[in-house]
Amino acid sequence: MLMLAAFAAPAAAQSVRPPGNAVNLDDGIEDGPSNALGDVSDTDIWDNFRGGNPKDILAPTREGQMMTTTGQQWRVIREKFIRKYLGWAPLVVIGLLAVFYLIRGPMKIAGGRSGKTIPRFNLSARVAHWFMAGVFIILGLTGLIILLGRVVIAPYLGLEANSVLTSAAMQGHNLFGPIFIFALIWLFIKFVRGNFFQWVDLKWIFKLGGFFGGHVSSRQFNFGEKSWFWMVILGGIVISVTGVIMLFPGLVDDIRWLQLSTILHALGAVALIAVAFGHIYVGTIGMEGSLDSMLKGEVDENWAKEHHDLWYEEVTGKSAKEEDAT
Amino acid sequence: MSFLNLVEGPLFSFAAAVFLFGALWRLIGIIRIGRKKDISPPKASAAAGFIRGNLRHFIPRGIFAKRTMVHIVGGYGFHLGLFVLVFFGAYHIDFLNERILGFSWTAMPRWAFLITSAIAFAGLIMLWVRRISDPVMRLISNKDDHIGSWLTFLVMLSGCFAMEQAHDSLRATHMLLVDIWLVYFPFSRLMHGFTFILSRGNSGATYGRKGIDL
Repeated sequence: MLMLAAFAAPAAAQSVRPPGNAVNLDDGIEDGPSNALGDVSDTDIWDNFRGGNPKDILAPTREGQMMTTTGQQWRVIREKFIRKYLGWAPLVVIGLLAVFYLIRGPMKIAGGRSGKTIPRFNLSARVAHWFMAGVFIILGLTGLIILLGRVVIAPYLGLEANSVLTSAAMQGHNLFGPIFIFALIWLFIKFVRGNFFQWVDLKWIFKLGGFFGGHVSSRQFNFGEKSWFWMVILGGIVISVTGVIMLFPGLVDDIRWLQLSTILHALGAVALIAVAFGHIYVGTIGMEGSLDSMLKGEVDENWAKEHHDLWYEEVTGKSAKEEDAT
Repeated sequence: MSFLNLVEGPLFSFAAAVFLFGALWRLIGIIRIGRKKDISPPKASAAAGFIRGNLRHFIPRGIFAKRTMVHIVGGYGFHLGLFVLVFFGAYHIDFLNERILGFSWTAMPRWAFLITSAIAFAGLIMLWVRRISDPVMRLISNKDDHIGSWLTFLVMLSGCFAMEQAHDSLRATHMLLVDIWLVYFPFSRLMHGFTFILSRGNSGATYGRKGIDL
């Protein structure tokens, strides 16, 4: 190493030496004014150009100022927070569900299947549900590619592959967006009945839904299902409105609405995707007998008594407890 | 020859030929089976019944309309949407003009193309979801039905993905799926796109001959 340094030092000195015929350009030129940079600092100049508080994304631009700082703030939020951390949310939920499954295992029907079923969802409700599910999956996948492609796909598959996938995803996302609005309205009409919160839901909350043991009463939908329903509806409205604004930027006259829309759209979508994994878990491997309601439209009587006893009594006119005793 | 040229050129010609000859072969085969001779004296025209049977099936029966609403809305949305997209989409008219027909016609505007695409997609998804949700439909559906639905969906989806026209690979993927769809069509239940006329007509003619008011 020392030898290398010894050889390198003269070479480095040689490379900065001017050639022999070089002309000194400073010769004969007078010095400029001593105060060429003026009395105002760069920071002050830029402060006068840009308006608003750099930390406040919603503040209006002060009159007479040439540029806003919200674009920079939006970029920072998108790059440093959303792209860097938010994309992990669905993976964290999947991880938590996997741990929960390993510890708790699936919730079995206490008395086993009775072999007798009762109708739970009619055909049009099931079609509305699966229609929304299909559109949601397409929009979720294409949306995640658009949002995270540059940080997740590009480093591994290359910029060209990311460009192709993002172009495809963007077209697909834009086209399926309006279908989501239709699916949301359809879902609302089909499922709003029975999804309003009631006093019985408080018991469900206090007993943590029975996931850690104990029986909890509920009507057609329990507190968890109702919360998911309203999350989808309200989150869906936010995603739909912000999506429409992004599809038709001419609808708003202030660029900050667009910046806010992209942030709310991403936050709402990723939150729904993350919680959807919980919904899928409970609807499939997490709870025995749940999937039947959406696949066949019917559920086992014992499942109904265990998870929706009040609804069972309402539908059959029989007591869920007496039935248990027999 | 690039992959895009292959799937838009020779492979497309081959697929189109299979589609045309295959569909024709199937249709002639069905017609050649013929009908069992009816020796009873006709009470009305079978030919009129054939036409009436075809037209009557376009309108849902009152008592079943509510029960089959998803089927009706999805069916009309998808089939009409797909027809309009294929024959009035600017990309498709350009392709048909340059590669096959040598003439073109007025395309619908981009906004109409997008709305029609959304309707067609929604219809197709509704139809397939109904197929797996309805116990009777699930029972009478086989692999062929699902392959036909998914292949059509993938053709449409790849077309949607390629709309920006920025990447040849996306267009090539769409065209490859179109080629596969064309080859699969005559030998599958996708043939209902042609055979529905014979099927409805046969029922219509049978009832028409017996003087039954459809």
